Amino acid sequence: MKRWWPNIHLIVLAMSATLIKAQDTGQARDKYVLLTTPYNERQLTLYRGQLMVDAGYKFAVRSVSYDENGSRQLLTNNGSGSVYHYYYTDIRYGITDFVEIGAETNYIRHGIRTQTERYVSTSAAGTTDVTLNNIQEIRGMGDILLLLSLRPPLKFKWFDLSLTGGIFLPSSKYKPEMPSNTVTSAVANTFVINSYSRYANGYGVPVYLVSGAFKAVFRKFTFETDFTFRTPLKEGTSIRWTSTLENSKIAYTDKSYTYLASNEYNLNAALHYQVAGWLEVYLNGNGLKTKGGWTEYWGNKYANRETLLVNVEPSFEIQISPRLRICQVAGFPVSGKNSDASFYMFTSIRFSDFLR
Amino acid sequence: MKMETKSVHIKALLAICLGLPITILSGQTEKLIVPSDLKQQTVVTEPVTLRKGFLRAGIIINYRVADKYFDNDRNKQYYLNSQWGTKAAYNLTLQYGFTDRFEADLVTDYMRNKVSTTSVEIVPGTNSSVTSVTKQLGTGLGDTHLGAKYQIVPEKQYRISLTGLIDVSLPTGEKNPTNIRSATKYDLPVGNGAGAVAGEIFARTTVYPYSFSTYIKYYYNFEGSKKLAATDLAETRFRFGNRIEAGLSAYIHLNEWIVFANDFSFYHEAEGWAGRINSITIPESWAAVYAPDLVFQVRRVRVGESISIPLIGRNVPADPLFIISLQYVF
Repeated sequence: MKRWWPNIHLIVLAMSATLIKAQDTGQARDKYVLLTTPYNERQLTLYRGQLMVDAGYKFAVRSVSYDENGSRQLLTNNGSGSVYHYYYTDIRYGITDFVEIGAETNYIRHGIRTQTERYVSTSAAGTTDVTLNNIQEIRGMGDILLLLSLRPPLKFKWFDLSLTGGIFLPSSKYKPEMPSNTVTSAVANTFVINSYSRYANGYGVPVYLVSGAFKAVFRKFTFETDFTFRTPLKEGTSIRWTSTLENSKIAYTDKSYTYLASNEYNLNAALHYQVAGWLEVYLNGNGLKTKGGWTEYWGNKYANRETLLVNVEPSFEIQISPRLRICQVAGFPVSGKNSDASFYMFTSIRFSDFLR
Repeated sequence: MKMETKSVHIKALLAICLGLPITILSGQTEKLIVPSDLKQQTVVTEPVTLRKGFLRAGIIINYRVADKYFDNDRNKQYYLNSQWGTKAAYNLTLQYGFTDRFEADLVTDYMRNKVSTTSVEIVPGTNSSVTSVTKQLGTGLGDTHLGAKYQIVPEKQYRISLTGLIDVSLPTGEKNPTNIRSATKYDLPVGNGAGAVAGEIFARTTVYPYSFSTYIKYYYNFEGSKKLAATDLAETRFRFGNRIEAGLSAYIHLNEWIVFANDFSFYHEAEGWAGRINSITIPESWAAVYAPDLVFQVRRVRVGESISIPLIGRNVPADPLFIISLQYVF
């Protein structure tokens, strides 16, 4: 049965040799030409000495979510729709034409409202009316991701491959801040409680990332796909806050708990079309799945919910000057499970130049 | 022999004297500007007002959600109760150049306002709960704006142009709740219910590929009347406070047809009132706003994308306003 292994190696070697032969080698290096190379003529990693800095902003409207059966739930129906603001930046550098290093991080601000609840209880002493408003805010810097990407040492012509490895350093806050709840009473026995919880944006533990990408070009059309896997290095410890109303004052106590972040699987498949040298349009399909992991509640470990979200993303990229590009992506959720389904617009501006 | 040499020298000198200007002249190319080129100028290179006989039509889409606001203490707060609101305005704009220095503008609004509110009332004693859902929608033609621009100091003669603007806002939109089914179920109004007039001075200088501008604008709001709540039997007199607005802009051509604009503005609206008897106060408000803007000029078509971000403020929405525009010069 083991006989087939050497055959596989032979096939892979033969394919590589064919592919290598199919790709040209050697051509004069012109930095201006490299900076303005259209997408269908670009390799997956940066060129030697090339520096690229991205800055982007995503605005998302969270008005729909998918339940555990994959049914769409209109959040605006229960008044819990919200928006989120996501700021992104990365920096990448080509050490050689086939080795690239990079770092990226983000900042997020997202407030999630839950349905307002009003409790009315009647007793001999009278009627007590309590209204509870609840908001949970996720806010802060994300962990810094360090990346190393490799591609075959070949001049790109019509196909390319790359492999990326990285690690999220637990550089940002991950423990929730103390809530700031308030209780107000304008009328006797009538209370309004505003509960405001604040969560951070970090994983709390190092998280590994492995990614592979493939790109193939046919004239003005390019097909690109990539797959990314993220997994935590170890269990983490965080805290939960509880609040108690004592003598008209709210007392807060925190209690630690352990958790294991879920694994993330992210698949992209995109068809690009080079309309002109300066304009590229594409349609991307993106699938994000989380699986595994657990969270501790009262000493017991409960499995994290499995989530799935599939988005379709029409996009374009414009070369506005040799050093600048603008990219815009609109995201439309099409299916999912246990996941928010936000519509989003992501705009990024990309600066690129050669340091050497 | 000497005579021949002299003659050759004179001929050579004449040739140089005659030939050099011809060479110089032929080295220069005179760019012919045809009217169609003028209609393709960018937001940086075009004059402040449209040229004589030019007509520009456009659609502007504004979109904003209701998620956060600046409170009276200038803190950015979430709307805490379970409520979700969106506001979209679709503007049809027409601009016409009567002369090279005078332009008239017409802007109409088609509004789409939406608010969903929900709450669940729980009665522990009877172990029961009732969920109340309110959905309100307001659509229709909103208020109309008329404008006139005049280049007091035209750009052609001076490095800095100075333009005066007058805007009149006509309360053409429905100002009262309609289709009232209950206190919480009705169609939202789409108009302000009161007119306004504004005067503006706008200054601009262009140093290609840059242009810089600044303005100051003052709005005088007229008194109006409308139903403040769906259950009101009669309309209530009200008046928004007058508003002053000032701004600074810096535009840069990223290439020949894409302009990146940065606008900073500040506005302050004075306290207003509603109801002559038991008058309530419409609080004073202000905000400082930053708006990055990308403007694409593709021949006569202009596409703009902008996001207006309130940086700080008081008693105003804190959510960004998204603006997409499409314009064409005929």
